[in-house]
Amino acid sequence: MSFAELAAQLNAGTILPESIVIATLIVVIMVDLIVGRTSTRWTPYLAVAGLLASVVALFSQWDINNPVSFLGGFNGDALSVVFRGIIALSAAVTILMSISYIEQSGTSLGEFVGILLTATIGGMFLSGANELVMIFISLETLSISSYLLTGYTKRDPRSNEAALKYLLIGASSTAIFLYGVSLLYGLSGGETKLSAIAAGLAAGSGQSLALVIALVFAIAGIAFKISAVPFHQWTPDVYEGSPTPVVAFLSVGSKAAGFALAIRLMVTVFPLVSEQWHFIFTALAILSMVLGNVVALTQTSMKRLLAYSSIAQAGFVMLGLIASTEAGYSSMVFYMLVYLFMNLCGFICVILFSLRTGTDQISEYSGLYQKDPLLTLGLSISLLSLGGIPPLAGFFGKLYLFWAGWQAGLYLLVLLGLITSVVSIYYYIRVVKMMVVKEPQEMSDAVKNYPPISWNFSGMRALQVGLVVTLIATSLAGILSNPLFNLANGSVAKTEMLQSAVISSQVVEATTQVSVIK
Amino acid sequence: MNLAEGVQIVSFGLLSLMMIGAALGVVLLANIVYSAFLLGGVFISIAGLYILLNADFVAAAQILIYVGAVNVLILFAIMLVNKRQDFAPLPNAWVRQGATALVCAGLFVLLGTMVLATPWSTTKVVGAVPAQSSIVTIGEHFFTDYLLPFELASVLLLIAMIGAIILARREYLPEQTISPEKPQQPALTLPERPKELLIAGSDKKA
Repeated sequence: MSFAELAAQLNAGTILPESIVIATLIVVIMVDLIVGRTSTRWTPYLAVAGLLASVVALFSQWDINNPVSFLGGFNGDALSVVFRGIIALSAAVTILMSISYIEQSGTSLGEFVGILLTATIGGMFLSGANELVMIFISLETLSISSYLLTGYTKRDPRSNEAALKYLLIGASSTAIFLYGVSLLYGLSGGETKLSAIAAGLAAGSGQSLALVIALVFAIAGIAFKISAVPFHQWTPDVYEGSPTPVVAFLSVGSKAAGFALAIRLMVTVFPLVSEQWHFIFTALAILSMVLGNVVALTQTSMKRLLAYSSIAQAGFVMLGLIASTEAGYSSMVFYMLVYLFMNLCGFICVILFSLRTGTDQISEYSGLYQKDPLLTLGLSISLLSLGGIPPLAGFFGKLYLFWAGWQAGLYLLVLLGLITSVVSIYYYIRVVKMMVVKEPQEMSDAVKNYPPISWNFSGMRALQVGLVVTLIATSLAGILSNPLFNLANGSVAKTEMLQSAVISSQVVEATTQVSVIK
Repeated sequence: MNLAEGVQIVSFGLLSLMMIGAALGVVLLANIVYSAFLLGGVFISIAGLYILLNADFVAAAQILIYVGAVNVLILFAIMLVNKRQDFAPLPNAWVRQGATALVCAGLFVLLGTMVLATPWSTTKVVGAVPAQSSIVTIGEHFFTDYLLPFELASVLLLIAMIGAIILARREYLPEQTISPEKPQQPALTLPERPKELLIAGSDKKA
């Protein structure tokens, strides 16, 4: 094989967005190395610019004709484009909110941005990975950078504890995932590409004990990434201990990558055990929705509350995966897009509050309305949107998910989702009430000593820009949700693997109906 | 059965016995240093099994990386944390141990059943005698169909190195807090936090 032939076969243009992020990463690290600490005044903005350029590059790949590249190792189809965009955007907003936080915590910013960019690269590659080795390496790139970010403020013992816990549980879940993947390799006769594995499994014995075990182990690895109950034990401690911008990235970027992997793996490799994986994900969704929402009721720390809320949100998103219809997948994509803005908006407000007062306790938020209206507005809008109050974006996201689930005949699951989201509204509203309703004499000490609002410190401008942008997006995405709807529907309609999966499941349904009629 | 097959079976049995014995020792022995050395034995026996499977490069990598680097690192860590502490025996320890044994035995039975019950598709690999050195084959794969993961691994290793340096380096003082009565640092050294300050600071936070 000559070099020119090989280069043409690689079709390397599909990873242009990732290449931009890698180039940004190298520039950030080298500049930090050569220029020194003074460069941190502009390297974060360079990183944000690189991430936005990568999003622009993703836009240009929307209508790509030949998405499979690197001899089948990477599949840049429309679904992966959307998920890669979500991850890149979440990283960009995370950098905006981390500048002043990291400077306040007395650690260096250049390396933080570098590790965050690497986590982004891992997540973006994971969304398009089409082969077992690629899946594993990109999963590890994402995980190892996440462990490093979690323990980044190493003088804080809570951060150390969180990093150690995350590392140990993460390593064991990776090992379990790897065991399941190795079973797939054996069952398919030595294939690593997902489509070849599916063909090998179909040609082989079909449904067997080994395939079910491989499925369970693979789901265990994925459920750890999306923090579904019962693989969620790390979430509250890690969310409480690690630096808040990292938590924002973990709850959006890392989770989006996990869902992208779940869709690709389940739809491509496991159609033979379709009943089983639907059953397992149904159990995970029920447990996540119930436990996440009920335990969140009793939390007193804002970060722990958001941790349990993110577990519950993962349960809602799984509804779309279980529905396995075209509407189901596009409702997942739509909800992730909406979740990106509302969750990041909430985290920016939490960071702003803890920068100004130094606390995360929910009771300390009481009476904030009198001192800081913008922060109160941002946090209220994002929490109400997470709860699903009508004109906001979260309501339409949930509506679409529940509608898709109802269409697919998941009546019990949708009812449970409705009940638990009513529960969730209670604990979101409790925070809003604390901030807005309290009389001036009921103000907490932290709010009484609130510093005068000033945006002139270094990094605060970036935080303000991030807050305003995500706030506008959260409030407008509900009313003007059509572009997002079109994006989500288009991404599913253009993705080959989902189209063939939906058609084959419809054929199965039709044949079963025919047999019932007979 | 000819001589080659006989040698293969005998060495497989020996390696398996070594591995299982050493692995049991790792788990059951109370002294952690013995466990660490036995872990090296487990790794070496696995390398032997790789050689039996014609995977010579993987066997060499196994010995170099796992025995030479990982296991030595574990031993270093144990010897640096030279702390003797007697743990009071838990009152109902046998319940936990019994439960663990039950779970492990159940998992073993499940996986064993799976291995025996599954018709493994081995059509591709049966009787495969490598035509060329395995290193050449691995290299060809690295630069054709596994090119992307191979290159991504370099990014992963880069950030793992940076992260290890960040976690391991000593903290610099954020502000000049060195008290005036202490001798002034020489001009060229970086203003590192003095040892006792570091200990006092970490104690206060913990």
